[in-house]
Amino acid sequence: MIPQLVTVRRRRRSGRWSRLYVPVVPVLLVLSPLLLLAVLVTCLVFRVSPVGALRGIGRLLWALPGTRFEYEQGRTAVLVSVR
Amino acid sequence: MNEQRRQILQMLGEGKITADEAERLIDALERTRPESPPAESRSKARPKYLRVLMSWSDESSGEAPGRINIRIPLQLLRAGVRLTSLIPPVAITKVNAELDKVGVPFDLAELKPQDLEELIEHLDDLTIDLDDPGSTMRVYCE
Repeated sequence: MIPQLVTVRRRRRSGRWSRLYVPVVPVLLVLSPLLLLAVLVTCLVFRVSPVGALRGIGRLLWALPGTRFEYEQGRTAVLVSVR
Repeated sequence: MNEQRRQILQMLGEGKITADEAERLIDALERTRPESPPAESRSKARPKYLRVLMSWSDESSGEAPGRINIRIPLQLLRAGVRLTSLIPPVAITKVNAELDKVGVPFDLAELKPQDLEELIEHLDDLTIDLDDPGSTMRVYCE
């Protein structure tokens, strides 16, 4: 399933948490023309099959839900979660 | 259909026993048959994530204690591995040359997608435990 929401949480040295919620589908829809163009240009430059590249990116995107990254050191912390 | 059940039905068909008797016999047959183990116990539940846990508290270096917790879906690893098929031959040649320079005579072109798939499949059994006086690291699948 395509990821729905990416959550980025960050705790600064002061101890304050800042949160950023990224709704993936709307962001992808808005940026899709630009992303498509970037993929096509990159494929032309590096002589890679655009269909294969798009399929690969799609697979990566579909496999992303469930990914979680947490880093904590002292009072600083970063959490990235894909749902 | 097993042989005993077939015999009971045959006897019923020939009129040697009544329907009630046949039912009782089939019930008795099912009770005496050993229960087959559930499917879950036969096949181990397949892990879905690769987990990397690391923590350190090295006070001698003056750094604050820290912790890293990463959870990666194995499906993502599979998808990433499939992307290697997109690497252009020119890049593979360059990578091979660089690997050779640092003393790793490895040919990336020999790496087939099915081999990589197999590698990911066998990650299920992977467990790495690293204990150091100041830090611990654990890599496993769950």
